[in-house]
Amino acid sequence: MSYSEVIKNFNKIRDYMREFFVYGFKSRDEYRKKSGRSYDDERRRLESWLGDYMKFRQTPEGKNVFLSIDSRVTRHNPLFKAWKAKSFTDGDITLHFILMDLLATSDRPLTIIEIAEQIDTYLSVFDDPKTFDESTIRKKLKEYAAEGIVCTEKQGKTVCYKGVQSTEALDHCDADMLDFFSETAPCGVIGSFLLDKKKEHQGILAFKHHYITSALDSEILCSLFLAIRGKKTITMESVSRNGGCVSENHVVPLQIMISVQNGRQYLMAYDTGYNRITSFRVDKITSVKTEEESGQFDEHREQFERMKQHLWGVSTQSRSGDRLEHVEFTVRYADDEQHIPKRLEREKRCGTVERIDAHTCRFSADVYDASEVIPWIRTFLCRLTEVHFSDKRLERQFKHDIKEMYALYDLEGGDGS
Amino acid sequence: MIFSELYSAYYNAVADIIRTALDHPVQKGELRRIVEKHAFGESVLSIEPAILEERWQIIKPDGTTNIRLAPQMPLTTIQKRWLKAVLLDPRVRLFLDDTDILPDVEPLFTKDDYTIFDKYADGDDYEDEAYRQRFRLIMDAIRNEYPIRIEMNNRHGRRVQRILMPKYLEYSEKDDKFRLIASGKTFNGIFNLGRILSCERFHGDCNTGDHTEVIPVMDSVVFELYDRRNALERVLLHFAHFEKEAERIGKDSYRVTIRYDKDDETEIVIRLLSFGPMVKVIEPEPFVDLIKKRLIAQKSCGL
Repeated sequence: MSYSEVIKNFNKIRDYMREFFVYGFKSRDEYRKKSGRSYDDERRRLESWLGDYMKFRQTPEGKNVFLSIDSRVTRHNPLFKAWKAKSFTDGDITLHFILMDLLATSDRPLTIIEIAEQIDTYLSVFDDPKTFDESTIRKKLKEYAAEGIVCTEKQGKTVCYKGVQSTEALDHCDADMLDFFSETAPCGVIGSFLLDKKKEHQGILAFKHHYITSALDSEILCSLFLAIRGKKTITMESVSRNGGCVSENHVVPLQIMISVQNGRQYLMAYDTGYNRITSFRVDKITSVKTEEESGQFDEHREQFERMKQHLWGVSTQSRSGDRLEHVEFTVRYADDEQHIPKRLEREKRCGTVERIDAHTCRFSADVYDASEVIPWIRTFLCRLTEVHFSDKRLERQFKHDIKEMYALYDLEGGDGS
Repeated sequence: MIFSELYSAYYNAVADIIRTALDHPVQKGELRRIVEKHAFGESVLSIEPAILEERWQIIKPDGTTNIRLAPQMPLTTIQKRWLKAVLLDPRVRLFLDDTDILPDVEPLFTKDDYTIFDKYADGDDYEDEAYRQRFRLIMDAIRNEYPIRIEMNNRHGRRVQRILMPKYLEYSEKDDKFRLIASGKTFNGIFNLGRILSCERFHGDCNTGDHTEVIPVMDSVVFELYDRRNALERVLLHFAHFEKEAERIGKDSYRVTIRYDKDDETEIVIRLLSFGPMVKVIEPEPFVDLIKKRLIAQKSCGL
C-alpha cells in the first residue's frame, strides 16, 4: 500500500511515538528488527506531524531519530496531532459534509429515501458524480447517531433523521478555559478538538512540570472512564513491561490514579481472577472491552477508598509479604532552612510529620509498599539522620545504595571532604 | 471514539475551505494556506489533488462548493461529556461564572473517578473568590496589555507593592499553583498568584522601556544512567518533559543530557538524587559539585 500521512490504526504509532519521545536512542536497525519496513513510514509521518520537534543523531550503529520537546515552552501538547490524523475514504468525507449540510438546512426530519435523493442532487454538479446506496448512507447515519451528532426518530415504522443543534455549550466556554483543561484534565485531547472549533487564539498559559506522553493513551483512558461511570466490568489486554507478552485480565475498574511527578497513569481495579484490588499501567493497556455491569462496584470502590490511607503510590502489595510496612526517617535542618519542614508537610501524602525539636522532624507512614517511598526519601540526602523500615531487607538496600552513591563520586573514604 | 476522522485535521481544513468557498471561489494559494494552518506538513499533497480530481465532491475544481451552509459540526456526545467533567472542576470558575451549561449531560469523569496522588498539598485556593477575581484581572491585563499594581508578602513576610506588565501565566500540576510571569523594574518577574494579596489595574505612567524581561537562562546537565531496577524507563519518563537526548553507551548504560532552567537547579539536583546509584552526574563540574556537596553532608549525618 502506498504511503499516507494519515493512519487507520492508532496502536502502532502510539508505540513509535513513545519510543521516539521517551527513549530516542534506538537506531533505525533496531526498529527494523522489530517491525520491518514500517519504520520508514512511521518516521515520515512523525516528521510530517511534528517536524519541528524531530531531531537526528548519527551514531556508529546508524542514524537515531528522536523527539525532543520542552513542554514548558510548547504551550500546546504537540502529541495531540496524532489523534487528528485518522484516515478516511473519499466517500466518507464527501458524505460527511453533505449529510451535515442537508440535515442542518432541513426544517423537518428526513427519511433515508429523501436523504439519498438530496445527496444525488448535491453531487449532480460534478462531471462524474459519486453514488451512495441507501445501506451506505444508513450505516453512516447510524454511526453519527452513536456519536451524538445526528438524531433519529420514528414516524410510524419509518426511521427519520434530523440534525442536532448543540454548539451552544461551546459558545459559553472561553478559549483559555479549553486551553487550560486540554493540557491538565484527563483525556485533554478532547479539549483540543473543541479548541479546534474556536477561532484561532493566542494562548497565554504555559505549563511547568508538564508530562505530555499520557496523551497517547487517551482512547484507552476514555474507555476506562466510560466503564467506571457505567460501573461495568471489562476485559482488557495489556503488554508486559518489555512489551514481550500480552496478558488478559477481567476486572472491575474503580479509579484512575495519575502521577504529576512522572506522568504515568494507572487503573486501579478489582481483579476477579486474583480476587484483589491492584494497579495496571494505562500505557501498557492495548485494548478494553466493556462487558456487564458489576453488582459489587460500590463495595469495591469503598474498599479502595479505605485502602488509600495506606497508599503512597499505587502498589497495593508489599514485597516483604507483610500487609503493611512501616517506614520512618528523621531530617535535620538549620534555622534558615524552614522550607524543609514545609516541604515535608506538603509532600507527606498519607504519612505524618512530627517536629522533634527546632531543627529536627520525623516522617512516618504505614504503607502497603515502603519501597515506593524510597525515591522521595533520597531527595532529603544531606540531612537524613535516621531511616528505618520494618522490612529490614529494604533498609539494608537503602543504606547500601547510599554507600554506592558515595563510591560513584569517589567519596568513600573519611568524611569525603 | 476519540480516534475518529470527525476530529481530524483534514476535516477541519476542508470545513475551512468550504467556509471560504461560500464567500468566494478558493484559489490554489489560499487553499494551500488553509491546509497549512489546519493540517500537517505533507497534507497539501493529498488534499489538493483530491479536490482537483473531484474525488471529494464538496469543493469543485473551480473553487466553489455545493455545500449551502458554513460547516458547523455539533458537539459529539464524548465532547459534551468531557466538557461536563471539566465544568465540575473547581478550577473552571477561574474562567467561567455560569458552569451549569450542560445540565442533562453525564460527565465523562468526576473527582471520584480519578486521583492525582502526588501533587503537593499546598496548592492555590481556587474556591477563594478574591483569588479568582485577581486571576481574571491578570488574564485581562495579559490579553489587553495593560500594567497592574500588585501587593504581596515577600519572602521575609514584608508587604510590598509592585507595578508590572503581565506577560503570561504558568501552571504547575505538581505544585498545583499558578505563577505570573511579568516584566518590571528590579525584580525577577515570577510571582506566585497565591502570594498576591491585592491586584488592580495601574493607570499611572508605566514606562516599559526600562523593564527587565524574564528570559530563562538555560543550562544542561549530563548524567550516566545504569539500567537496574527498571531505572531506564523510570528516569526517562521522569525527565520526559524536558528537552533531552539519550544515547546508549554500554549494554545497560546510557548517557542522558537534559536542558533545564537555571532557576530550577536545586529541584533538578534533588530529582537526580532520587534515583540513587542508578544515576551519576558527569558534567558540568559545578553541577557534579552540587551533588557531591549533598553526599558529603549526608556522610556527616551518621546514618
